[in-house]
Amino acid sequence: MMVGGGTSRLAQVRAWVTERADGSGSPVSARLLCETAVLRLGVSGAVLTTVASPGWPETRHCTDLLGERLAELQVTVGEGPSADARWVGGPVLVADLDTPASQRRWPLFAPLAVEAGAGALFALPLCLGAIRVGILALHRVQAGGLEQARLTYSLAFAELALRLLLDEQAGLSSERDGSIDLGPALRNPQVHQATGMISAQLDIGMEDAFARLRARAFAVRRPLSELAADVVAHRVRFGPTGEPA
Amino acid sequence: MGDERLVETFVELADTLVDDFDVIDFLHLLVDRCVALLDVDAAGLLLVDEHGRLQPVATSNEQVRLLELFQLQNDEGPCLDAYRTATSISHADLRSAGGRWPRFAAAATDAGFATVDALPMRLRTEVIGALNLFRTQVGELTDTARRTAQALVDVATIGLLQERSIRHQEILTEQLQSALNTRVVVEQAKGLVAERLGLDMDGAFAALRGYARSHNQKLSDVARAVIAGRTTTRELLTGAARLGRRPLKSRFGPISE
Repeated sequence: MMVGGGTSRLAQVRAWVTERADGSGSPVSARLLCETAVLRLGVSGAVLTTVASPGWPETRHCTDLLGERLAELQVTVGEGPSADARWVGGPVLVADLDTPASQRRWPLFAPLAVEAGAGALFALPLCLGAIRVGILALHRVQAGGLEQARLTYSLAFAELALRLLLDEQAGLSSERDGSIDLGPALRNPQVHQATGMISAQLDIGMEDAFARLRARAFAVRRPLSELAADVVAHRVRFGPTGEPA
Repeated sequence: MGDERLVETFVELADTLVDDFDVIDFLHLLVDRCVALLDVDAAGLLLVDEHGRLQPVATSNEQVRLLELFQLQNDEGPCLDAYRTATSISHADLRSAGGRWPRFAAAATDAGFATVDALPMRLRTEVIGALNLFRTQVGELTDTARRTAQALVDVATIGLLQERSIRHQEILTEQLQSALNTRVVVEQAKGLVAERLGLDMDGAFAALRGYARSHNQKLSDVARAVIAGRTTTRELLTGAARLGRRPLKSRFGPISE
């Protein structure tokens, strides 16, 4: 999920997380990201889940028990804002779980969530087109919407989380590998087209295709967008062995 | 109407607006307080929905709800007039309102009401609904009562428009983000199709779109289906060709069905 035109917001969020990381001496992680989000967005808790194959969600970090409970619930009853967000590929923002509208939408989940103590839930899917990496779910005990600035920043937190997880998938870590920042590459259509091409060339899923593309760009020390352009122009091809021809 | 009770009412309404705002609760509170404060016997509030239709949202009793529905069904009545003209409407004796609202007047007097006042819910140029006040006794609302009613209605209007604009943002955000992601899905599908069929990106897009049109599906759904393998690239080709478009140029030579 990409923030429309908000690279400075992404930079700000990154700075907040790094600040927190430096303070504790730990590398940027799911935990730090979630904790920073809770601090900055005026929510009660955050849960970062990844969707390992074959589609079973795995909690990477949750900042409180309520978050754990909510994540469990959605899996148990098979419905909820996170499931919808994943499906739709866009955020599902529920300012109040205790309204007739929410109850109608999630007849199993909503009442149980309210009972567990949740007022508001904001499910932000972490996806890159057909590549579904996970969900960042923010909850608040008190019902109420996220006001505009916080809503925008929450999207930036989601984008940061997406990038963190994509780095992991590609076997990259900024700690070890230095600057592997995607920069504006995620907004470049050729990057996605190249991903699709590699998916067909290697007969693998989009997620693996993107990871290969990134790993190759890193290995040959070229910006992702440039390598993608070469793939689209047929100057670079990914053969069966995973190496470009 | 005691000053203290009036102050309490405004404090109550303000609290609701500032803290956990629930539209329905707020409007029920407003309607109940109108009845308590303004020396009227019943009140009802209608709001306009996203299709421009007035809907009864909160009433102090069932009778009023029925009367409001009646106004809507018959397209006649003080509430509709207040909404449409954005001015306050009143009629001090409904028995004489047969010329003004023939069907409504009869229904209202049958229900035991003698007087009606309707105030528009208006903020500058936007009218979002109207408030109906009914009394069983003939006679006009006092000036004070009318001004108080208008003030309560104005507070409600501001609260509602504020709430709408918040939810509006949420909806816009949801839609925008989902649209941005869908674009990526389509680009990924283009790459996949281009590679499999030996097309350039424009050709791949044409194949996807052609299939979507001939099967009456959304482009994004077709893109997802192709990526998931539910629709094969061969099917795409057939779909595009069937629409009688120019033959798709492939690196492997012209494509025939």
